[in-house]
Amino acid sequence: MSKGNVQTESTPPTPPPMRPGGFGGAHRRGPGPVVKPKNFKGTLKRLWQYFGKERKMLSFIFIFIVLDSSLMLLAPFLIGKAIDAMRMDGGKVDFGFLEIMIVILVAAYVMDSLLTFLQGWLMAGVSQRIVKGLRDALFKKLQKLPVSFFDSRSHGELMSRLSNDVDNVSNTISQSTTQLMSGVVILSGSLIMMLWLSPLLTLASLITVPLVFILTKTIAKRTSALFKNQQVELGKLNGHIEETISGIEIVKAFNHEEKVIEEFDVVNTRLREVGLKAQIWSGFLMPIMNVINNLGFAVVAVVGGILAVKSIITVGAIASFITYSRQFVRPLNDLANIFNILQSGVAGAERVFEIIDEEEEPLDSPQAISLERPSGHVVFENVSFGYRPDVPILKNVSFEADIGSSTALVGPTGAGKTTIVNLLTRFYDVTGGRILLDGHDIREYTRDSLRRCFGFVLQDTYLFSGTIKENIKYGNAEASDDEVDRAARMANADTFIKRLPNQYETVLSENGGNISQGQRQLLAIARVILAKPSLLILDEATSSIDTRTELHIQGALLTLMENRTSFIIAHRLNTIRDADTIMVIDQGEIIESGNHETLMSLQGKYYSMFFNQFKNVETGLD
Amino acid sequence: MTFLSKYIKKYWKSFCIAVFFLTIEAVSDLMQPTIMAKIIDEGVANKDIHYVLKMGGLMLLITACGAIAASTRSVVASIVSQSFGTELRSDLFKKIQTLSFKNIDKFDRASLVTRLTNDVTQVQVFVNGLMRIFVKAPLLALGGLIMAMRLNLQLSVVLAVVVPIVALLIIFNLRLGFPRFSRVQKALDRVNSVMREYLSGVRVVKAFNRFDAEVGKFSIVNNDYKNQSISANRLMATFSPLIMLTVNLGIVVVLWIGGYGVNSGSIQVGHIIAFINYMTQILFSLMMISMVFNMFVRARSSAGRIDEVFLQEDSFSSDDNQNVNFIERGRIDFEKVSFTYEQATGEPILKNINLTILPGETVGIIGSTGSGKSTLVGLIPRFYETVSGTIKVDGIDSKRVSPKTLREKIAMVPQKNILFTGTIEENIRWGKEDASDAEVVSAATIAGAHDFIMASPEGYQTRIGQGGVNFSGGQKQRISIARALVKKPEILILDDSTSAVDVATEARIKEDLKTYAKGLTCLLIAQRITSIIDADKIVVLDRGELVGVGTHQELLKDCSIYQEIYQSQVGKEVEQ
Repeated sequence: MSKGNVQTESTPPTPPPMRPGGFGGAHRRGPGPVVKPKNFKGTLKRLWQYFGKERKMLSFIFIFIVLDSSLMLLAPFLIGKAIDAMRMDGGKVDFGFLEIMIVILVAAYVMDSLLTFLQGWLMAGVSQRIVKGLRDALFKKLQKLPVSFFDSRSHGELMSRLSNDVDNVSNTISQSTTQLMSGVVILSGSLIMMLWLSPLLTLASLITVPLVFILTKTIAKRTSALFKNQQVELGKLNGHIEETISGIEIVKAFNHEEKVIEEFDVVNTRLREVGLKAQIWSGFLMPIMNVINNLGFAVVAVVGGILAVKSIITVGAIASFITYSRQFVRPLNDLANIFNILQSGVAGAERVFEIIDEEEEPLDSPQAISLERPSGHVVFENVSFGYRPDVPILKNVSFEADIGSSTALVGPTGAGKTTIVNLLTRFYDVTGGRILLDGHDIREYTRDSLRRCFGFVLQDTYLFSGTIKENIKYGNAEASDDEVDRAARMANADTFIKRLPNQYETVLSENGGNISQGQRQLLAIARVILAKPSLLILDEATSSIDTRTELHIQGALLTLMENRTSFIIAHRLNTIRDADTIMVIDQGEIIESGNHETLMSLQGKYYSMFFNQFKNVETGLD
Repeated sequence: MTFLSKYIKKYWKSFCIAVFFLTIEAVSDLMQPTIMAKIIDEGVANKDIHYVLKMGGLMLLITACGAIAASTRSVVASIVSQSFGTELRSDLFKKIQTLSFKNIDKFDRASLVTRLTNDVTQVQVFVNGLMRIFVKAPLLALGGLIMAMRLNLQLSVVLAVVVPIVALLIIFNLRLGFPRFSRVQKALDRVNSVMREYLSGVRVVKAFNRFDAEVGKFSIVNNDYKNQSISANRLMATFSPLIMLTVNLGIVVVLWIGGYGVNSGSIQVGHIIAFINYMTQILFSLMMISMVFNMFVRARSSAGRIDEVFLQEDSFSSDDNQNVNFIERGRIDFEKVSFTYEQATGEPILKNINLTILPGETVGIIGSTGSGKSTLVGLIPRFYETVSGTIKVDGIDSKRVSPKTLREKIAMVPQKNILFTGTIEENIRWGKEDASDAEVVSAATIAGAHDFIMASPEGYQTRIGQGGVNFSGGQKQRISIARALVKKPEILILDDSTSAVDVATEARIKEDLKTYAKGLTCLLIAQRITSIIDADKIVVLDRGELVGVGTHQELLKDCSIYQEIYQSQVGKEVEQ
């Protein structure tokens, strides 16, 4: 009987295989090949260790399951005995014996239900607590991972590990293990009971077992190849759908609706053919299992009947036997299926553990000091760096930024501009040389305190779902409403905020989708203003904004830069021409440095870049 | 769910055939315990081995019949459900392809994809299930009841008590369960959304040192998810044993009553065994029905989402059949055009636009983000309908022309690069399917794409992955331009589509365009003034209003917004 299958995936990629609660035998296997874990035993062991204090509770539950299954084995035997109390030969019913049997039976049933209830109740708590722990641990782990970890993985993949894989683990714990345990107990128990009741009848009824194996094997062989094909065709169809729906503007603009529909129908029909074959073959499984069940039923009835006629066994034994032989076949069908689920659960756990084992951002050294309100004197001393050892990004870079000065970094994409920022904030650590802030190597400070001193305005303004006020207060949770308002005003954001129906309480959707790009940028600036950082980093802060909006933001940025050591990355040169120092970076090296006037008089790279822009080159620079 | 009636009409006969065979299958299942009762009560009681064998043979025969019925039913069910699913998917796809943007915009693109894939599959699985077990379960339950009653009316009293109790328990279970499980789903969505946000904003979190806050936020939603799941699962854990217990106690009562019956000779022992068998059968069927209900709810919400798409009525009022004689080639007139997107609130996107674009003119359109540039050009091929005012294309009110005819005149290169899986040649041929190789090459050459295409080993046969992953943004833009050019349109619209192309190439493309198609009207949307500086006419938009039309020099003199844009881009330097 099913203990309630909670479908937790928000968008299951394939329809969940239906599990008709152990009725009638065969279950449809989920289409698609089973993902096998790399190290089944090791991961299982580790998972068990991971359960920690829940292990005791789990052990209890396992004991309950064994007891529960044993009681389920007892019931048919008792029923058989009760029936035997009713004499077949027309004699009187042995009521004394019947009563005893009935009382035991009632006790067994009540106990059984109680145990099932207890086990389900406890399991719900245990499995969910374990999964919650696992999720929390994963999320905490994510906080400790270096930025390089996130840079090298797609969000989709990480999301799938955090949700699907964790859910898989939960299902494995709560369902597969219990089913596996009770399956094994019932399977072996039924066999023992059957043998005890009548070895001859057991032998007769077991002839269905090899039949089950042979038939399921043959069918499974056929279907797994067919399901694989179906998966391939489905992938193609989904690709086509994805493409034509997201590009529907082009489809329509080129009057290509009919062509696209034609293509769709071709793939769709192919999917139908493959899917039909797969479904017909897999569809045979259930009726065949049902037939085998009925066959077993008939064999027991006939052979049992003959044995009963010859008085070798009693009628009650036949009644018990029918139940046992059913109970015997059912888990047999289930076990293979359960093993697959177990495998994919363990494979999920493996992927979860992979993240848990990822190398963390190295801890701050014990001597690390907390950096408080630095004055903002930055020195790069022969800094070298590469994301990969064989590809150097920065080569021997040295420069100095005075307190309160502004430094602009310009140069082509891949020149290393953003890398300088990544190093400054220790998203990555230098591989050679050192960076000094207020006279100390930045590795002598704790990462937390170092980063808190920087304010960021990035090209992509990550806003979080929540109200506008919460977003502005992100960097300074204690700020008063007054301060929030002041920061918004300084960032030129108050005008649009005040026009919104709920003003500061307007709820932004995920990543702030319901306001414009420029407005998001203004909020990001307000957020930085409120955080009162000592140093400032503007990384292409205005590049995704049109130039007129930029003009409005420019003012806000200037206020922000006042009296703060600032680093500006931009590819539109007119936005940085007022910077104290402009550094032209190319292929990891600083090739020119100075203010706008000096660089112009130098007539070098900057000069040509500037005039290129002036001569309509606005995109060639990035 | 009106859309379903079409399929019901088409498939009800096959469906009934499947259900017919399903019934045979269920009946053969139901016969077994009764025959077994006969074996015991007549064969065993009278020590008649011959009778036992005869009945055994009958059982096997019925089993064989059931097997044949089940296999036939399975094949029919597969054919019906697969054909139905395929057709539904195809119809839905066609519907989406023919909808106007006004309707399409009501849905998220990703959600349309889900509707086509996941939701259709969900409905298909349900229909398949209908012909497999969903109908069989009630049949078995009902049949079991009838067989049990026929077997022995006296014992059926037990059923009269047990079945309603179990039914009530199941109803309670579902009633209490559904809100709980939907809360679980919502809690899970929240967990995922916090996670997704963290992943995309990880730099900000690190920069602001908000680890504790993020962990705290996550912990709250995660804890909520845990609690909701526990509560939902515990509910299931409570009801399942209760239902089991009810039926099991029923079996005990049957034994008890049966004992007295056998004693008085009114009940035979075999009947008791058969009766108990029917009771378990009924129980399992009832449990199945609750499962079916679960599936039904899921399929119904999927069907509802599909229905939402089918319910979209195309709002276009074009007189398609009308033969229109276009007076000119490549002329566009906007007359008092205003526009608002359907769901949008607040100010209209376009306000009272009056503009004439003459054949062969190159017109630049400039303005800040959100000023309505893309919307303005989107109205020309009737992606959207004006709210008021008229747009005339080649002298004819565009509402009188079918979108198809209209779009034949126009080629568009959108802001977003959209290329399709296939070779470069296939992608360019999108513009004109029967284009000759020479035409393809010449379009690619003018778009500045020929050289880099030839530089890749497979030339025009180079395959583009989904979304065109293997080319740079600028290259993809140039292929898109080639695709538009091969069409030889009267009107070419470039929506900021040279932003990733380097300036020298951009200039050359624009130069070559003039010679490529004589009298080609060209609309250029641009962020940068430099891209449109030499256009015949520049249109300046601001907050949906047309604030200036003229050449660069004219606008620099009279249009303050244009001046502002110019200054923000070129800086003070130029004035000197």
